Amino acid sequence: MKDKIIRWGLPVLFVLIAMPAVIHDTFFLRVVTEAVMWIGLAIAFDVLAGYTGYLNFGHGAFFGLGAYTTALLMMKAGWPFALALPMGGVMAAVAALIAGFPTLRLKGAYFAIATWALSRAVQQLALIMDITGGPDGMRLPPFLNPQFFYYLMLAIVAATFALLWYLLEHSPFGLKLKAIREDEQGAMALGLNPTKLKMQAFILSAVPTGILGGVYAYWITFIDPASTLGDLISDQALVMVVFGGMGTLIGPVIGAILIFAFKTLFWAYLSDFQLLYLIILGAVIALSVVFMPNGLWGTLGGFKKKKRDHENKLETSLEARLQKNEGE
Amino acid sequence: MELLPQALMDGILLGGIYITIAIAFSLTYGVMHIIDFAVGEWIMFGAFAGFYLNKWTGLDPFLLLPVVFVIFGLIGCLIQPVIHRVLSGSKGNPLLMGLVFTFGLGLMFQGLAMTVFGFYSNSTPSMFSEGSFFFEKFGFSLTISTVRLAGLIYALAITMALHYLLKKTNFGLGVRALALNKDSAGLMGVNGKRTGALVYGLYVGVTAMTGVLIGCILSVSAGMGPQYTIFAFFVVVLAGMGYLAGVPWAALLLGMVQSIFLIYFDPGHTLLAVFAILYTILLISPKGLFGRGV
Repeated sequence: MKDKIIRWGLPVLFVLIAMPAVIHDTFFLRVVTEAVMWIGLAIAFDVLAGYTGYLNFGHGAFFGLGAYTTALLMMKAGWPFALALPMGGVMAAVAALIAGFPTLRLKGAYFAIATWALSRAVQQLALIMDITGGPDGMRLPPFLNPQFFYYLMLAIVAATFALLWYLLEHSPFGLKLKAIREDEQGAMALGLNPTKLKMQAFILSAVPTGILGGVYAYWITFIDPASTLGDLISDQALVMVVFGGMGTLIGPVIGAILIFAFKTLFWAYLSDFQLLYLIILGAVIALSVVFMPNGLWGTLGGFKKKKRDHENKLETSLEARLQKNEGE
Repeated sequence: MELLPQALMDGILLGGIYITIAIAFSLTYGVMHIIDFAVGEWIMFGAFAGFYLNKWTGLDPFLLLPVVFVIFGLIGCLIQPVIHRVLSGSKGNPLLMGLVFTFGLGLMFQGLAMTVFGFYSNSTPSMFSEGSFFFEKFGFSLTISTVRLAGLIYALAITMALHYLLKKTNFGLGVRALALNKDSAGLMGVNGKRTGALVYGLYVGVTAMTGVLIGCILSVSAGMGPQYTIFAFFVVVLAGMGYLAGVPWAALLLGMVQSIFLIYFDPGHTLLAVFAILYTILLISPKGLFGRGV
């Protein structure tokens, strides 16, 4: 597994790093930057949904909290971006602590409800507060350097991916989370503390989301409750993870790339039918749950494994027959 | 202070409506063990069904309730097998998948409604819409609109009917058995698949009927769903998940909160207050106000 990620991951990373030097099209760079951001959001969502088995319908709230924290610190307190950005992550972690403390002790459904209600409440808070500019949103000083944001986004997402890969696939932490997902009481019986682990997973999921929100705010230079705190962010992250494959790290990446490519094309060519997008998102979620519960990656991997098993079986039976023939 | 009796009265009348939604919702949770994220969208579809049926036939929405119930009951019965399939799947985490599925369904419904019905807000006219009772005693004045009173009476009737169905009939016995233990109920001859479909149909039908009333009392719009989903959750979590007897009190509390915020504060803060209360309750007593939830 480790060889595989180095064999595949390093060339991909190299291509991504070298890309801006080759392609100078600003629009293309912008699209890729956003795609990278979505990959980060999707893998962060998957920590909780796929590995721990808890659905966070308030993922967008953490993104928005990061965006607003960074924007407020830069605009009202005059902090430099480099200091304000980590604070976005800290704020998201604090929010995760507050929201997770009462709800993570309970069954999954409570958590899904509570995070959903939280995202609505945060959105309403941003709408009525003066300091956030209410429905008009906030403007940040423009910093027009697409390459800077591309590399920043890429660095954060790559670091998140590496961290998650290590924690979830190569350390006991990932196994503990999976144990909770499969059987919480069983995990408790084995001496694990599910509430603490879930809390850690929640923070692990919230911090990158908040930081990405901060980068997004400075990159787009305009944030308002509808675009950064709306449901669409949670919805899209959910679609990407479910469609790509829950409980893996590669699945959400694939899901994020495909769904984001679809979204970009959709908005480019069919922007008159904006509402259709919502229907398609819902349909993709519902259909993948019914027909592809393991997601694209899991289903393809499953085929491969089945085929391999089948071949192995064929081989062994052939060998057995040969040996039998030889024996005769 | 002059407005307080009015606020409390409105709260009771409004809370009555929420009882029916939350009871049906709680019932589905008890039997199928899933949270239906599309509950608000069923209310929205019901409200639109009432609005358009009223427009086309000219009949009073209160007379249309049985029609709406039958239509939506059938839709629910037809959808439930898909949910059942998701929930009984061997792959992945079925309960999680059930949540995701209804969430996707809700998203789809929302987009569908916005495409078909547009963004306009309407209200369904009813024969009760105009009238109201007016009381004046001890220096307090109290206005009770007829339509809200009719809504409360409807809610009480539905609650009684559901109570009868659950406690006095064989079907209800099967439902309660399923809620206790799926496998044992199956061994005792309860058809889990059919009962599940009927309960889901019942829930969708009742929710849609309530939607018609909400359309009469408040308003009908394509974006109204999520708010009611949160309200339904609020009531069910406050009552304790799966604990039916707690539902009326939690629903009345929600009605009070809503009407008090409408009169004394900014109605825009209602959702914040709802969340704050929900959070506090989960913090202090995770199993609901009465500590009897699952």
